[in-house]
Amino acid sequence: MASAVLTASHLSRRFGDRLALDDVSFTLEPGEIFALLGPNGAGKTTTLRILAGLIAPTSGSVQIDGQPMGPQSAPQLRARIGFLTEAPGLWDRLTVRDNLLVYARMYGLPSPGTLVDEALERFEIRDRGDDRAAQLSKGLKQRVALARSLLHDPRIAMLDEPTSGLDPASAREVRDLVLSLRAQGRTILLCTHNLDEVERVADRVAVLSRRLIAIGTPDSLRQKLFAPRVRIVLVQPAEPFATVLRTAGASDVRVDGAVLSVSISNTPLTTPDVVRRLVEAGAGIESVTTEEPPLEDVYLKLLDPEGRAS
Amino acid sequence: MTRTFALLGKELADLRQNLAIFVPAVIVTCIAVLIPVFVAVIVPAATGERLSESADLEIAVEMYKKDPTMRTLDPEAAIQAYVFQYFLVMLLLGPITSAMSIAASSVIGEKQARTLEPLLVTPITTFELLGGKLLGALLPALAVTVVSMVLYLVVVAFTAERGVFGVLLGTRTLGVVFLLGPLAAMVALQLAICVSSRVNDARTAQQLGVFVILPIPALLLGQLFGGVELTVSVILWISLGLLLVNVGLMWFAIRLFDRETILTRWK
Repeated sequence: MASAVLTASHLSRRFGDRLALDDVSFTLEPGEIFALLGPNGAGKTTTLRILAGLIAPTSGSVQIDGQPMGPQSAPQLRARIGFLTEAPGLWDRLTVRDNLLVYARMYGLPSPGTLVDEALERFEIRDRGDDRAAQLSKGLKQRVALARSLLHDPRIAMLDEPTSGLDPASAREVRDLVLSLRAQGRTILLCTHNLDEVERVADRVAVLSRRLIAIGTPDSLRQKLFAPRVRIVLVQPAEPFATVLRTAGASDVRVDGAVLSVSISNTPLTTPDVVRRLVEAGAGIESVTTEEPPLEDVYLKLLDPEGRAS
Repeated sequence: MTRTFALLGKELADLRQNLAIFVPAVIVTCIAVLIPVFVAVIVPAATGERLSESADLEIAVEMYKKDPTMRTLDPEAAIQAYVFQYFLVMLLLGPITSAMSIAASSVIGEKQARTLEPLLVTPITTFELLGGKLLGALLPALAVTVVSMVLYLVVVAFTAERGVFGVLLGTRTLGVVFLLGPLAAMVALQLAICVSSRVNDARTAQQLGVFVILPIPALLLGQLFGGVELTVSVILWISLGLLLVNVGLMWFAIRLFDRETILTRWK
């Protein structure tokens, strides 16, 4: 595996008496989409700000491309980061083009006018370039903010709630943009509440609630928390066939009308065994699929292992 | 410096779209220009009583006798020149007011519009950021100074007695307008930036600006009662004092403008 683009080691942060972040460590690998999940107040934005060198950790350290983030190195390392803040933060009285131009100059980019034109083209906002930012819809503002955060071609894009408050079409556009950034080899740190979005785009997920509760690919977290199950849709009521499977040794069989859900862990039965037993018992099978719990279930189980919340 | 100028460009572009911010400065400048015209020209013309015959202006008559620059003027013109010079410090109110308004709304405006965090993510340093904000408020304040000075001179040229205009074009006037004016405006706007770093409301920042404006009426009263004579050397001493205050305020502003506090406590 290529060396980490960003390494967070044992990050903790206190605000007065309140511990906002407690011993959080992870790495970002080149070209991956890493999602940081957690409830409100879990420390997601604090983590992003520490990683971007905006605030210092009370303890722990951050390295970007192997270089430690500190007061002296922060301005230089920040140039490698594109940061999309939760609010688009556009200057309302300035045009879209002027908003981007200021940032292009701020980063000392050569030919800022040409770069801004290219960004307007890439993010499909060229026709709105001369409009004042105040005139844009929320989705368009978010797109301009994304264009702004990527103007300087950063290696790492940190996106804080990029689809928050957007309609489904705009959210999808932003999601497509995020995927295209990964295709360009950028590393993306996505901070969101939108689990469906994470399910669609993230390579790895970290669940944060002041401490890092879990980290891994969505599938590995699923496997860790939920036993594999197979879902069988029958052409007749399923209840009599549930008994057949229980008798054959299946320990966890659930029935919902014509649908059977069978756990295939901690049991001698494999999926072909289950199907064979059902057919032998005279069941008409319409479909057989592997059951994958949604990431939402994984997330909720991680945050509340005893299931007290539900 | 590139980042400071980039921010300066943004500040000026933003101001061009928000000219209403100059309204207080325009009103204050108009008052500063009209009061001396009222006292030195309109009231004598309306009452028929010449300034040189007024018992209230004995101090002016005494000063007129001592001041070599006014000896070529007739008594009426000399007293008009005295009045116009006396009220000259009022012209400082225009740049101070505009600097306060711009600086207060500029920093607090960024807070309220949540535009500061994206800016802080760039490699900009606190010094560069405050430099851009400072210049973005100072340059318009200087423009207000020049415009109010030109307006003052035009009014004097058209309304005052012959020779008064020439007296006003002296070193003292230039010192007040081009030395005291910018330095006082800088004190005002740096104070506004300091206050803005700690409060969330532009009005609070502007209200605290009254502490910068207070010395001006004090200076007016000082002249009136004869305790202070705004000679060139007095202007230079006050300027030196303001310069030192500015250096101290810059140091203080950089320390007050704590990125962490701004990001984590601003709501």
